[in-house]
Amino acid sequence: MSEVQAETPTVADFARTFRRIQAEIHKMIIGHEQAVEELLSALFAGGHVLIEGVPGTGKTTLVKTLGLALNLSFNRIQFTVDLMPADITGTRVILSGEDGRREFTFQPGPAFCHILLGDEINRATPKTQSALLEAMAELQVTVSGTTYRLKPPYFVMATLNPIEMEGTYPLPEAQLDRFLFKVRLNYPDEGELTRIISSTTGPDDAGIEPIFHTAEAPERIEALKKLVREVMAAPAMEIYAARLVRATQPQNSRFVTDEAKAVHDEMVNRYVMFGSSPRGAQALILGAKVRALLDGRANIAREDIEHVAVAALAHRIMLNYAALSDGIDAAHIVERVIKSVRGAKV
Amino acid sequence: MSFFSQDKRVDGKLGQILGRVGSVRTRLNSLALQHAIFYTLAIAIASGAAIFAGAYLASPLVFFIGGSVVVVIAAAGIVSAIRAGWLMRASALRAASIADDRAELKGRLSTVIALADSETRGPLWSYLLEDTLGHHDEFAPSKIERRRVSRAIYPLAGAIVLAAIAVPISRIKHAPRIAAANGQDDLTVDLDDLHLREAEPGDESGMQVTADAATMRRLADKLASENAAGSDAPGNSLNQLVNRARDMAGNLQNKLTGQQAASNKRLNLRLADSGRDQDRNEIHRAPDAQKNRHGDVAGQFKQDQPKSNNELNLPPEDDSRQPNSEPSPRGPGAAGVESDAGKDNPNQDDSASDRSIQQSGENSSNGGEAHGIGADPDSLFGAPAGSKLGNEGFEIAIEARPQDHGAKGAGHAYVPPKVRTPLSLNQQPDEPVARAAVPADDRSTIKRVFER
Repeated sequence: MSEVQAETPTVADFARTFRRIQAEIHKMIIGHEQAVEELLSALFAGGHVLIEGVPGTGKTTLVKTLGLALNLSFNRIQFTVDLMPADITGTRVILSGEDGRREFTFQPGPAFCHILLGDEINRATPKTQSALLEAMAELQVTVSGTTYRLKPPYFVMATLNPIEMEGTYPLPEAQLDRFLFKVRLNYPDEGELTRIISSTTGPDDAGIEPIFHTAEAPERIEALKKLVREVMAAPAMEIYAARLVRATQPQNSRFVTDEAKAVHDEMVNRYVMFGSSPRGAQALILGAKVRALLDGRANIAREDIEHVAVAALAHRIMLNYAALSDGIDAAHIVERVIKSVRGAKV
Repeated sequence: MSFFSQDKRVDGKLGQILGRVGSVRTRLNSLALQHAIFYTLAIAIASGAAIFAGAYLASPLVFFIGGSVVVVIAAAGIVSAIRAGWLMRASALRAASIADDRAELKGRLSTVIALADSETRGPLWSYLLEDTLGHHDEFAPSKIERRRVSRAIYPLAGAIVLAAIAVPISRIKHAPRIAAANGQDDLTVDLDDLHLREAEPGDESGMQVTADAATMRRLADKLASENAAGSDAPGNSLNQLVNRARDMAGNLQNKLTGQQAASNKRLNLRLADSGRDQDRNEIHRAPDAQKNRHGDVAGQFKQDQPKSNNELNLPPEDDSRQPNSEPSPRGPGAAGVESDAGKDNPNQDDSASDRSIQQSGENSSNGGEAHGIGADPDSLFGAPAGSKLGNEGFEIAIEARPQDHGAKGAGHAYVPPKVRTPLSLNQQPDEPVARAAVPADDRSTIKRVFER
């Protein structure tokens, strides 16, 4: 068990803790460095993560490892088409008391934890998917008119299987927007695959050492999350983030009313149906703040924003059929937008 | 106490950072100012040299057009240079941003500057200051901007070198012309190569030429025909504008080249009998005339004082003539012989014309010769000349500028050898016919013939 850190973490504490968690995760997860960093960034930025990857790339393992490393309560929901909202949030059941009286008692669902893994979330119906909305956004669950608070830190990680589309329900835009980052897990390369084979088929299982004590883990993580919010963002950086988000919105969109100082890219106008919401700008700044702390800075820089731009904006951009037919993905659009905004003199 | 001292330390660090950024800003602004000044000077010097060289080497019209283009380009360039300098100026925030980029400080300085006046700095403010000060060697002014002198010094130096080369070369290249013009007293000009026009009232520039009567007649005919052609042409006003522009450019050239006095020298074209004054049947420069560079010739008929008793003068020109007045419709002779009273008022009756002619004859004693110049019937008749026109002549002042090159080598035309042959017994000396009274019965007939 590691030592307990001071109550008020410093910038150096943050970076050190972050790297240690990373290291623990990578005991189990081979490769996926960027995905792990984005996952932890979303955790400390106070957001949730949507993980997309083909089967067998370690989505569930990654989330479980994170829970172990952080020493936080962890639940897993396997989303299926017959999953009901009450299966997530919990429900009121009739229980007999000690005096023999029967009464309705709220039985918390798997949503009541610190880290929630929603496996293959797109297999559930939209009604069930939306059961997570309140929990993710408000950190509360309402059942039968009663609102129950969730204990922070609350971190939802949902996985998506991009290839099995039959019998799936794509997440509605409103729910997609509530995920701070979308992390993509690609196939490992040959070296990583070799290491995966040797580490998972041997007799010894890699032991994950928790970074925090169970009792203090939530407070420590909350303190680190608070430190992230203290990182300073110069007005120029906020303007830059705003321009990036506005640049993802197509010029001909009926929802775009103010064209002043907007940067428009031809590719956006051609392939994007709806651009990023304001939550995208918040995600950019929060992700950049985590990056700044990792770099030992108390201020964000343009590079920090650009580094998290794909993870923060790609899943908020709704492409049209032209993009699908031309094989254009949202990450490509975001990279193009970064170039356009960086080169623009507005 | 500790909080107060900590706050004081933070303010001290902030002061150090602001001082460094201020130094960077001063250097950047100095470079911006130098950029504007050096480029402005470079453009001004280069364009001035071009105009100066053009004044020496180009003809007035080319000089006018080229000079205008150079002036416009220079003005645009100067405005652009000043604007660029203005845009290069750095505020404290911009200086910090530049320093961030060049020293790879990842926004530390610009964040400090942006939030220096903010009241919500947060608990990481002191960390930011300390972190930024830890890189203070990296954002020293000499590292952010090494140059103290703007690169615009190179264009300025180039312009100075260009000017230093172009001006003497122009003078040297122009020197042979000056020498050629100064070295000769007589300058022969082919009349066919002359372009004549009436000068503006009061214009004292140009040359005074003298020649014999026939040459003067040709000169007057040419002036009248060019005037008529000019008045008939649809672009008459345009021609006048071009002429004015040419005059203006010529004057400017003279001022730039220091040839103002020389341009006012005149060539004398003397009228004389072809027999006796054949040796003067040429357009020559007066002995005191200095060089004049321009090839275009603009004519102005005006009264000239008789040099001697045996020279005839044209009638005095009315100085009240307007520059844009229509040329005389009464033929070439009217322009050179008659007073402008009749020209300005075409409805004036014959008696007025007669008086004018009579006055001309009395004043200038050019009777018969003057009649021969024009074909206007109204000017055919007048009072008889008081004396014969043996050795009398008149002078025409025109704006004539000799040029080394021309369509036919106008500056140095071939002068045939003078040959004198004795007259036969039945041959009378070639003298102008004296003005005589025309019988009243014949007047209408003669007038009809000339009108035809």
